Amino acid sequence: MKRRLLFLLLWLVLFDRAVPRLLDAAERRHYEGTTVFRFENSDLFGLGPFVDYLREHPRHERRRVVFFGNSMLFGYFLAPEQAIPAQYQRFAGDARVYNAAINGQELGTGYLVGKDILDDVDVLYVQVIGETANPLLPSLIPVSDADLLRFDLERPERAERRLQSWLGRVWQMYRVNYRMQAALFGTSARIYVYMHKRDLARLFHVRTLQPESFPPANGGISLRAPRRPGVAPVPTERRRIMGDLARLARARGKRVVFIEFEWDNSPHDDAEVGAFNAAFAPSAEIVIVRLPKSLTIDGEHPIPAAAAQIAEALARHEREAAR
Amino acid sequence: MIFTELRFVALFLGCWISFFAVPRRFRAAVLASWGAAFYAIYAGWFFLAVVALVIVAFFSGSRWVAWIAGLATVALLVYFKASLLVPLGFSYLAFELLHVIIERRRGRIAELALVDLFAFIFFAPARIAGPIKRYPAFVAAVRDAEPSSANVYAGLLRILLGLAKKFFLADVLALTVAERAYVSSTKHAWIIILAFSLQIFFDFSAYSDIAIGLARTLGIALPENFRAPYFARNIREFWDRWHITLSHWVRDYVFTPVGRTLFRTSLRKTPAVIAVISYVVTFTIVGAWHGLTPAFLLWGVYHGALLSLYHVVRLKTPASIADRPWYGGRAARAFGVAFTFLCVTIGWVPFMLPLPKAAKFLALMFGAAR
Repeated sequence: MKRRLLFLLLWLVLFDRAVPRLLDAAERRHYEGTTVFRFENSDLFGLGPFVDYLREHPRHERRRVVFFGNSMLFGYFLAPEQAIPAQYQRFAGDARVYNAAINGQELGTGYLVGKDILDDVDVLYVQVIGETANPLLPSLIPVSDADLLRFDLERPERAERRLQSWLGRVWQMYRVNYRMQAALFGTSARIYVYMHKRDLARLFHVRTLQPESFPPANGGISLRAPRRPGVAPVPTERRRIMGDLARLARARGKRVVFIEFEWDNSPHDDAEVGAFNAAFAPSAEIVIVRLPKSLTIDGEHPIPAAAAQIAEALARHEREAAR
Repeated sequence: MIFTELRFVALFLGCWISFFAVPRRFRAAVLASWGAAFYAIYAGWFFLAVVALVIVAFFSGSRWVAWIAGLATVALLVYFKASLLVPLGFSYLAFELLHVIIERRRGRIAELALVDLFAFIFFAPARIAGPIKRYPAFVAAVRDAEPSSANVYAGLLRILLGLAKKFFLADVLALTVAERAYVSSTKHAWIIILAFSLQIFFDFSAYSDIAIGLARTLGIALPENFRAPYFARNIREFWDRWHITLSHWVRDYVFTPVGRTLFRTSLRKTPAVIAVISYVVTFTIVGAWHGLTPAFLLWGVYHGALLSLYHVVRLKTPASIADRPWYGGRAARAFGVAFTFLCVTIGWVPFMLPLPKAAKFLALMFGAAR
């Protein structure tokens, strides 16, 4: 028994020495490859490893464009290549486009993630919806004390964090196990197994969320980014969060594009948006994407043809902004 | 999962080292100290309430003190079960404490040492999700525990088995169970409930495996909690294989006393009625132990009814049928296993969902349109 225990320990030590190289190869393939990047099953798991990777690899050969938002940008009901960010890739030259959207996330999460990765990307698209930040975020990415207070988040248990940090220093596999799973599977190992189980479910003809076919495109989307200097109204908390990220982008020479979707029943106040854009463009800008109900699957999420139109309009607007 | 938190691992390592570093007579004190530290960290202020309960239970040699300790434990358990916010492991802890109080009154625990009682109540591996221990066996196991690499190796393997069950089976199945939010067809509903049936087994038995494995590294044998329950040939056998320590606890402290009391009444002429009442009362309590909600109570009553039905059918089966060779044959046994699994699986619906949703889910399972 003693011999078996020693053998197990020796195997763990030897394997641990190879972990950094294995992780490097897996992450390079996952984050810098050419396949469509989207969090599998739209789960939060991949967000921490994604932020860690960008922060550790700030220098990159290709331009980096990151989309952050909720199911609208994630592409709920859609295959990864049908979602807005993947369609944007077609108009973005050799840039690497990351779909970092996660169902149900609000502006607070986008702001905190944006703050962490702004230095490591070229263009950041943040969807504007709600204000809150996901309560799990402090255990995934670095969040300052001020932001914990601002978004009413709980600090991760300190003793547990200290122990994790200590163990991570002596045991590589422990430290990078989340990153390794994200790099190998695009998500956690359990979600990966689950996704493959879902393939099995399809074999047995269990109905899944993905519709068999989509309605044809009827009508078109429109995009506008009003810019009208004037007296800005008293900012809401949402605008304050956006303003803070915009100021950060300006200070660091980056560009943040806030996407606000407009449906038939939710018209935007162009004057208010115009004042924001006049104050922060070109470092930050709000673009209003009008999406007719006829181009949605469920009154909210775009059909693939609409996602393609949105992606093209965003890319065109970006080219014009660059000029 | 507390078992994988580093604070827990650090505490257990500290406990493990000091357990074997001190003379044998101080081992219970070591377990009590580390266990108390663990419970104070994870249960917060409630730790003090448990300390008070344990001290009162220690004096349960006196009849009145025993009543006070027992009622206080039950009252706290009912209060937390009703609010559905039970402090860490209190459901298990309360039943262990009641066991000590009852057995003390019955005279089966002659010697009770306060330090042993604290070690028993705060024993960290079993404090999270059982198994429900018995005091005499635990004290003897602590006294006789020997450090050995065989125990450490066997314990680690059991822990690994538990972790694999939890992370590779239970947690993956949980994702299928989560599809209940948008269950769309009869077939989908059956897949979800089958997934739940397996998930709850793998999840719960994983916790038991880890607890038993951790204790084994200390050389302490904890009682087994599961014995391939889905291979049971009838519902009674199922409860002999599922959450064994709980079913043995309710057998000893609810079923048998209720049956014995009823036997002293005019019902003694109809033992089948006594059995039915005892089963239903016992399993209503088992349902309430899981949570004081209509859905858990219904689940308990359902199992009480199944056990009663099995009891009556078994009593009324004529010998001319029971003696036939096919009655105990392979095909009959396979049918028994499949039928028991089906009954148990249908019963998991109110365990998985609150009552109104459970009713809709059951209707969908049996063909009603959503």
